[in-house]
Amino acid sequence: MWYEILKFELKYRIKRPETYIFFMFLFLFSIVGVDFVFQGVEIGLVKKNAPIVIAKTMGAITGIFMIMVSMIMGVPVLRDFQYDMESLLFVNPIKKRDYILGRFLGSFIILTGIFSGVVLGMILGAQMPWHDPINMLDFNIMTYLQSFMVVVFPLLFFGACLFFVSGMLSRKLLVVYTQGIFLFVVFLLTKAIKNEYLQAILDPFSLTTLTQFTKDWSVVERNSLGITMTDVLLHNKLFWFAFGVVILFFGYKRFSFSLLRKKVKNKNRLGAESTEVSEEKIIVPKVNIHSNFKTHWNQFIGLSKFYTYSLFKETSFWAIVICGMIIILINSVNLGTVYGVNSYPTTYLIVEELQEMSLYFFMIILLFYSGELIWKERTSKIQLLCDSTSVLNVTVLCSKFFALVCIYVVLMLSLIASGIAFQIAKGYYQFELDVYFFGFFLEILPFLVLYTFITFFFQVLSNNKFVGIFLAIIFFMINIGAEALGFQHNLYKFAGNPLQRYSEMNGYGHFLSSFLWVKTYWLTFGILLLLMSSIWMLRGTEANLFQRWKIGRTQVSKLQINIMFGLVTVFMGIGAFIFYNTNMVNEYWSNTTEMAFRAQYEKKLKPFEYILQPKITEVNLNVELYPKERAYEAKGFYILKNMHNTPIKEVHIQKSIASHLQLDSINFEGGAHKNSDYQEFDYTIYQLSKPLRAGDSIKMSFKQSYVPKGFENHGENTEVLENGTFMNNQVFPTIGYNKKYELRDTDSRNTYGLKPRIDKADQEDEKELGNVISGGDSDGINYEIVIGTESNQLAISSGALLKEWKVNDRSYFHYKMNQPMLNFYAIVSGEYRVERDVWQSSSTLSAPVDLEIYHHPGHSYNLDRMMAAMKSSLEYYSDNFSPYQYQQLRIMEFPRYEEYAQSFPNAIPFSEAMGFVLDIDDEKDVDMVFFITAHEVAHQWFGMQVGAANVKGRHLVLETLSQYAALMVLKNKYSEEKVDQFLEFQKETYAREQKKSKTEEPALIKVENQDYVYYNKGALAMYALQQHIGEDKINLALRRFIDDWNMYNGTIKKQTQRYATSKDLLSYFRQVTPKELQYVVTDLFEKAESTKIP
Amino acid sequence: MELTIDNLSKTYSNGINALQDVSLTIEKGMFGLLGPNGAGKSTLMRTLATLQEADHGAVTLGNIDVLNEKNEVRKILGYLPQQFGVYPKISAEVLLNHLAVLKGITNKGERKEIVHVLLHKTNLYHARKQNLKGYSGGMKQRFGIAQALLNNPKLLIVDEPTAGLDPSERNRFYNLLSEIGENTIVILSTHIVEDVKELCEHMAIINQGQVVLKGKPLELIDQIEGKIYQKTIHKNELDVYKREYRVIHEKLFLGKPVIQVMSDIELDNGFTSVKAGLEDVYFTQINNLN
Repeated sequence: MWYEILKFELKYRIKRPETYIFFMFLFLFSIVGVDFVFQGVEIGLVKKNAPIVIAKTMGAITGIFMIMVSMIMGVPVLRDFQYDMESLLFVNPIKKRDYILGRFLGSFIILTGIFSGVVLGMILGAQMPWHDPINMLDFNIMTYLQSFMVVVFPLLFFGACLFFVSGMLSRKLLVVYTQGIFLFVVFLLTKAIKNEYLQAILDPFSLTTLTQFTKDWSVVERNSLGITMTDVLLHNKLFWFAFGVVILFFGYKRFSFSLLRKKVKNKNRLGAESTEVSEEKIIVPKVNIHSNFKTHWNQFIGLSKFYTYSLFKETSFWAIVICGMIIILINSVNLGTVYGVNSYPTTYLIVEELQEMSLYFFMIILLFYSGELIWKERTSKIQLLCDSTSVLNVTVLCSKFFALVCIYVVLMLSLIASGIAFQIAKGYYQFELDVYFFGFFLEILPFLVLYTFITFFFQVLSNNKFVGIFLAIIFFMINIGAEALGFQHNLYKFAGNPLQRYSEMNGYGHFLSSFLWVKTYWLTFGILLLLMSSIWMLRGTEANLFQRWKIGRTQVSKLQINIMFGLVTVFMGIGAFIFYNTNMVNEYWSNTTEMAFRAQYEKKLKPFEYILQPKITEVNLNVELYPKERAYEAKGFYILKNMHNTPIKEVHIQKSIASHLQLDSINFEGGAHKNSDYQEFDYTIYQLSKPLRAGDSIKMSFKQSYVPKGFENHGENTEVLENGTFMNNQVFPTIGYNKKYELRDTDSRNTYGLKPRIDKADQEDEKELGNVISGGDSDGINYEIVIGTESNQLAISSGALLKEWKVNDRSYFHYKMNQPMLNFYAIVSGEYRVERDVWQSSSTLSAPVDLEIYHHPGHSYNLDRMMAAMKSSLEYYSDNFSPYQYQQLRIMEFPRYEEYAQSFPNAIPFSEAMGFVLDIDDEKDVDMVFFITAHEVAHQWFGMQVGAANVKGRHLVLETLSQYAALMVLKNKYSEEKVDQFLEFQKETYAREQKKSKTEEPALIKVENQDYVYYNKGALAMYALQQHIGEDKINLALRRFIDDWNMYNGTIKKQTQRYATSKDLLSYFRQVTPKELQYVVTDLFEKAESTKIP
Repeated sequence: MELTIDNLSKTYSNGINALQDVSLTIEKGMFGLLGPNGAGKSTLMRTLATLQEADHGAVTLGNIDVLNEKNEVRKILGYLPQQFGVYPKISAEVLLNHLAVLKGITNKGERKEIVHVLLHKTNLYHARKQNLKGYSGGMKQRFGIAQALLNNPKLLIVDEPTAGLDPSERNRFYNLLSEIGENTIVILSTHIVEDVKELCEHMAIINQGQVVLKGKPLELIDQIEGKIYQKTIHKNELDVYKREYRVIHEKLFLGKPVIQVMSDIELDNGFTSVKAGLEDVYFTQINNLN
């Protein structure tokens, strides 16, 4: 008997269009599956069709499309109820076992068939021409089949059991979908589990499991070994398989045919009560029925309430709300984490966490609830009653739309409530309701509203709930995919760009207005689409698309037509305004345009890279900042000196390439003739009227202004801001070819016929040995600057503050450096509060150093730690390396659009996100604020005193030494456990990043831009060396190194006329290392795989 | 106000001619639409209820063009379909209120009043708070009529309303309908001949998409009065009788076939003359075509 039921189920499914739609969808999606799942994930040298990659992709795709499993497995029993088949079916002598077994197996077979589309799609996807053969292994069908059997099949089985049983017992589709959310929550929950093994077992999608399964595999093994059902993977699969069986068994026990008969009994009971007949004649009163705008409005309000309440009655909605509320508690385990340390639960961090976490919930509501709402009448079979009433289509559709929006709002309010509850639980009481409000109602709600227009449109158009959902999903993906292909303009990219992240310093800044314009533009479009959909809406029994349009067109009211024409006008009007801003006032650059420009720049100008040019020896600037307008004007001069033996006839000037940045004038002492051949690159060659003789100097005056107008499509400037401006000398004219404009990505370079870029030159490269910075146009400058800014802001740069004054309601600051410094300075301005202190060396008689921290008024949590770090660092470095060269040391906070801290001569801009709000628990955390500060202070030595030549190994001298220095300061201040904890973190990061790297790992001595080598391995290597030969010895070596290689007065530096390299540095280490330990230096610094690092 | 149907035709995409040149004029009062299952009654009803399109033809209600001015019709239309469901977890009162909103009764007080009156009138007031899913068939049909009456309809269409009701519930239902029929056009479609006879002043018989007969029930019966004969026969004689007489109907009585024959000349040899009924009119028309 069960076999008959199974056959029936198969036959039924084979006739259903969904079966094929799902299959085709998975098939098509899987073609780009690997690219989608691993988009932005660095897999290093692992091939794109390696078993592990395929297994993970399959696991992820199955996880993402669990929805599909629920749609297939949730319905077989449900269907019989929906179509009132149950009484027909269950009076037949079918055994429960046969019924359930038949239905389950039948659907499961179909499900497996549908998901075989993943295998086929991925196989086809691997043959696609966009893959570089270098990244691919030879095709092996077993890899795919094995991954499917090991990863996907058990997952499908578990999903099938869960959804089948929940559908069978609840008999409600929404409950089934909600199970999907539960599964997702479980997946997220596992991420918070500390025990690795447990985490691997409990991950329903076995993604973590796969990571652990292959944890110790080398690259070669990753590319060759198959994913087998052994070890932790076997345990995971066994666990979930068993769990599935338990669920199925439970469902089997609980299910009984009599569940249905109850329904029938109910009817009889009520029917019997109402036998009395009222004979009296009741007059039906007259009612007034109008059909004016007020009626429609009242209907809209009434219906909106009705539909909103009906959604509130869904248990599944409340389940989603509860899931959403607890998810923050789970996920905030890692809140605003910087190097393993969490931040205070500031409102914006909580909001960002909530936004990210709740997206999935909103998507579920968006996709499924819109389907439920549109089909509500038809699902309950009440449509004939409703369709024959005089209510307008547009009223019904709008009220359903509004009801869904209300649902979003309720979910958002509960998320906000949970966020506040979380803050209270953590003892944080600055709730900032406005940040909560804007975070949800400004950033998320418009996005949801816009996509709801889309789901409604597809639901109405397709006239089939499932097809509607899938059309909407396909639309989302195309919209996302098109962006990746370079279709980025807000005018055709549906819903436009997201809002730039919130910063406590700068709020939403100037990003808000363009965001609002674009959202209004799409909102108009969305309303138009909704009104359009209302014409298409099915009313009565004519389901054909053209018929519906024909009928709808005649029924649509004049007012609606007028509104639609009005909206088209508004839409085009705003569109024109946006276009005017992004393409006329500003220049619109798509990714392709930009890449072509960069390639062209390199092809045309590369020959100039090493032509003889004078060097900048003096910089004198007058900068007027206008934060409100985000504008500035700069006037000033450079002194250029010919350091070569031959006269220089022409000077090459590169204006910083940015829109609205004008180089208003440029004048050379004695005059020059302008050659504008390369104007398209803002690159101008000035033929000096009088050649600059060897050793001579010339004054170059210039005037530059930056006045942004309107708004851009994307990539708005984050340097000049209303509060927290931070720009560096790169915005001013530079001399000669700028390597920074070159294309970096090897694949893109390939497209434009360029060879892979060499990040760092060889250590024998004469030209680069003389460059302290890439494209170095200076060997040190005298620096003086006057900065004017709004009166409520403070402006900061390098040097000593000579004078500070106010004029015309503006503040002016005059800085001057009393010694030569690197041609590398920052200009910072903001509404700051200042924390001050003074440091005086305890051992030498040097002058006192003024310590200043310029910070956002609310961000005073870690100022003591920063201050302590500055003092300890200055003390240790000047005791052990060389005296501190300046009389000031400043830290300036800047908004979190960028996350780093950077050292300039006596000034350290420090991102809002890098430590100002870290919540350091000295019991369990390493004081990373202390460490980062110490690291940046160390750069005042390694970078500002010793310059490293721009060749391989440069970052060993700059970054690794700063890591060492900071580590020693940390060691002095904190316990051994803290240092161990810090080293452990470095080890983990090193191991993790190593696997992601696309390039062969270099030895430290040859390191280029691999930050995991020079930061993480570097710290470990220096610590190991220090353990072997002793801290004193290293410090002695560094003292000698600095002495010999100081940029301005180092003896060897002067002799050789070049900057220090990693090779030079190692020779100092070797000098202090006993013979028998020389191999340690070799092992740590000259080998890629160092045995001394555990 | 009268309803005029003029040459209405509809062919479904599967080739079935559901309506073929249907023309009818229907005035205030109860109008019965008789026909076997699949005759096209529901198609006609749905078309009149603005839920379906016709291929050609015209329908006017007063001066409203029913096929094109759908919303004008809907304002004065009450429709009780053959089958309908209800939203889950909702009471009669709430649903009636909701439908009243849909019908444009936006004055809250008015709406409340009419909902209550209709609940009383359909004798559902005591069960108004109950979940509709628990209603009996009769209660549900009465709810159906209550919702159809919400907007004081000028045209009330009831499609097979008594299918599945027990006799007493059916009676109660008809009392309701006949009262409404006093000042409304009520079109009642059914395949139960008795219903029409009891209730309707006018009627039409529709079969295979065509109107085969229209008129007043009593007049139609009069036309065949005295032409109907009955005889109890043996099972195996049936074919013989069918060949020789115009057998309009056969049924079993105590297990033996009883045939009903129509004849213009008087019959004897075992035939007895019987009083003609509407059923005979119906079967003459239906079997004519077969």
